[in-house]
Amino acid sequence: MIYFYDGSQEAFLTALLLAFKDDEAVLTSGRAQLSLGQKTRFVNADPARAKKAEARLRELDPQCLDELSTLLRSGASDKDMVALNYFKCIASHGGPVRNMLADDAVSAAVDELRRVSFEVHRFHGFLRFMESASGALYAPISPDNDIADLLVPHFRARLPAYPFVIHDVGRKKAAVYDGANTFLAPLERAEIVLSANEAAWQKLWSNYYRDVNIPSRERLKQMRGYMPVRYWKFMPEFKG
Amino acid sequence: MRYNGSRSQGGRLGAGNTMISEEKLKILTESAKFDVSCSSSGSKRKNEGGIGNGYAAGCCHSFTPDGRCISLLKILLSNDCIFGCKYCMSRADSDVPRATATPEEICELVIDFYKRNYIEGLFLSSAVHISPDYAMEQLLLTVKKLRTEYGFHGYIHVKGIPRADARLVREAALYADRMSYNIELPSERSLKLLAPQKSKDCLLLPMKQLRREKEIFKEEKRKGHFLPAGQTTQMIVGASPEPDGQILRLTQSLYRAAGLKRVYYSSYVPVVRDPLLPDIPTGERREHRLYQADWLLRFYGFSAEEIVEEDGNLSLELDPKCAWAMRHLGLFPVEVNRAPLETLLRVPGIGARSAYKILEARKFTRLDFVDLAKMRVVLKRARHFITANGKFCGEKNVQAIRGYLGAGEERERAVQMSMFSDTETVRSALTGEL
Repeated sequence: MIYFYDGSQEAFLTALLLAFKDDEAVLTSGRAQLSLGQKTRFVNADPARAKKAEARLRELDPQCLDELSTLLRSGASDKDMVALNYFKCIASHGGPVRNMLADDAVSAAVDELRRVSFEVHRFHGFLRFMESASGALYAPISPDNDIADLLVPHFRARLPAYPFVIHDVGRKKAAVYDGANTFLAPLERAEIVLSANEAAWQKLWSNYYRDVNIPSRERLKQMRGYMPVRYWKFMPEFKG
Repeated sequence: MRYNGSRSQGGRLGAGNTMISEEKLKILTESAKFDVSCSSSGSKRKNEGGIGNGYAAGCCHSFTPDGRCISLLKILLSNDCIFGCKYCMSRADSDVPRATATPEEICELVIDFYKRNYIEGLFLSSAVHISPDYAMEQLLLTVKKLRTEYGFHGYIHVKGIPRADARLVREAALYADRMSYNIELPSERSLKLLAPQKSKDCLLLPMKQLRREKEIFKEEKRKGHFLPAGQTTQMIVGASPEPDGQILRLTQSLYRAAGLKRVYYSSYVPVVRDPLLPDIPTGERREHRLYQADWLLRFYGFSAEEIVEEDGNLSLELDPKCAWAMRHLGLFPVEVNRAPLETLLRVPGIGARSAYKILEARKFTRLDFVDLAKMRVVLKRARHFITANGKFCGEKNVQAIRGYLGAGEERERAVQMSMFSDTETVRSALTGEL
C-alpha cells in the first residue's frame, strides 16, 4: 500500500498507525511512482489518532518526537520512508534505538537528522543580513531543508534589539522576529529599501574578505568542502 | 603613506560617522592575516542587552580561497611598530604603508559586521606602537569601549603585548574572552637572534600570570568574566632550526604548565628578506603533521615522548598516529567489540567520533566489518590494526602496511581538517580525525 500524506507531523502520526503493521508500506508526501495494481490511500490528519500515537511514542522514547519534527523538515526525497522506518523500529523495539548504529533504519535516520541540524549550524554562520532603511534586518536564504524558523532563536538571542526577517525564498516563507514575538508567514517576494550605509558596509566586508586571504596558499577544493557553492548566493563577498 | 589615528570622541552606536576607510582597513587586515588563530569557541557569554553573545562551539562565517575559515574580524589596531622582529613584515625598519585605527573605528566596524552576521567577534592585535604600554593601553581602551559603550557581548580575542604593564593586561582580561601571547620562536636562542626585543620570559610570564589570576578570579567567585575561553599561542615553524620533538615538548608543557587551550603552528612564509632567515617557505606538510601530533596530545591521550624523540622530526610519510602504531605493532590487532576507549583511540584511522560510535553500537550487537562500514568508520587504515568479531581484514606484511598507510593521503587531504586553518571547523571537520 502507498500512503500519501501532506508532510505534516499530525498526518504522519496518523499514517504511522495505519502503516505500522504493513511490511510493504510506502509512505510519501511527494510524488510516488505508481506501479500497476498497487493500492493507494490518502491519509488526512486525524487529531485524535495523532495524539494517541504521540502519547505512545513519548512513553517509548521522550526524545523521538523532536527528532520526528526535524526529520520531516528534511529536503531529501526519501525522508518520509526514513522517518517511517525509524519509527517502526522504535515501536517494534519498544524503546529508544538511536544508538543502534549498525541498524539500517537507525543509521539512515541518524544521518538525516545530522544533515538537517548541520545545515542549521551552517546557516548560523553563512546567513547574511542586510540593513533596511528602518533598521530592520533582512536575510534571504535557500536552504536544502525547511529550517527558516529554526534559525530564529539563535539570532533573536544575540540581536534582541533588531527586528529581522529570514526569508526562505525557495519555500516562499519567512520567519519573522518583530522585536518582541516570532512567527512564520508566507512571503513571495520582499521589497527592501536599504539603509544609507548598507552598500558601503558590504563593500568593506568584501574588501576584508579579499585582503585576509593568502593567495599563495590557494585551496579552493577545501574551501568549497567547508562552504559549498550553493550557499554563496546571498553572500556579499561573492557579489560582483 | 602614514595615517595617524585621530582621537576624536565622536561615533556612537549606529552613528556611522566613524566608518573606517577602505585603505586603512586594507593595511590593517593585510598585516594581521598571517596570524593563524581565528577560533571563536569556548565562551558562553550571555546577551545582557546590547548586541551579541558567545557561541560555545564556535562558528565559521565564511571561508577564503586559501581554505581558512573567517570567524573573527582579524585586524591590527596599528601596524606601526618599534620592534624589529626579523620575520615580521611590520618590523620597524620595513618599508610598508603604515596605519593606525581609532578605537571608535574598530568598534563601529565590529558592530556593523556583527549585526550583518559577517563575523562572530573581534580578534584584535597590534604592533608595538609607540611603546608596549601605549599599544596595550590602546587595545584595552578599544575592547573596554566595545563592551561598555557599544554594549557588545560577542567574542573578543585580544593579543597581549610583550613587556606591557601587567595591570593593563589584567584589565584587558576582564573584557576579553581569550588572550594570546605569541611565542613565535620555539627557543630562547632563536628569539634572541630573530626577535631581539622579546625573550622567553616576557612571553611566558604574562601567560602564567593570567592563568593564576583566572584561578583567583574563579576561587573568589567574582562577578563578570575573566578570559572564559582561556589563552592560546602561536609558533612559526621553520624560521629557526628547532626540531619537531622540541616543539612538541614545548607545546606539551604549555598545555600542562600554562594551561593553554590551543597552540597554533604557522609554517614559515618569507615575507621579508633577511640573511638570518631561510629564503624558502616551510613545507605545509610539516605544519600538518604538527597539528596532527597536537591533536594526539589533546584528545587522544598521547604524550610528546611517545610521539617523537626530542631531537627528531615527525615522519612526513606517515601521520604520527600511524607512525606510533607501526612502532608498536605488537599491541595490534585489537578487537573492536572489546577494546576500551583509550585503545580504540590509538587505532590509526579511528577518530574520536568513530570510537564513541563503536562504544555505543556494540552494546546492541557484535560488530563485524559490514557494520563498521555502515557506521561510516573509515577502515582504510584501521583494518590493519583491528579485528571485528574475530575477523582480520588487513595486511600482515609490515612493508605492505607501510605502503598502504602512506598512499592516498594526498587525495584525502582535501577533506581533511585544514592544516593551518582554524579548528573552529572542529564540527564541520570531524573528517579530519587521525
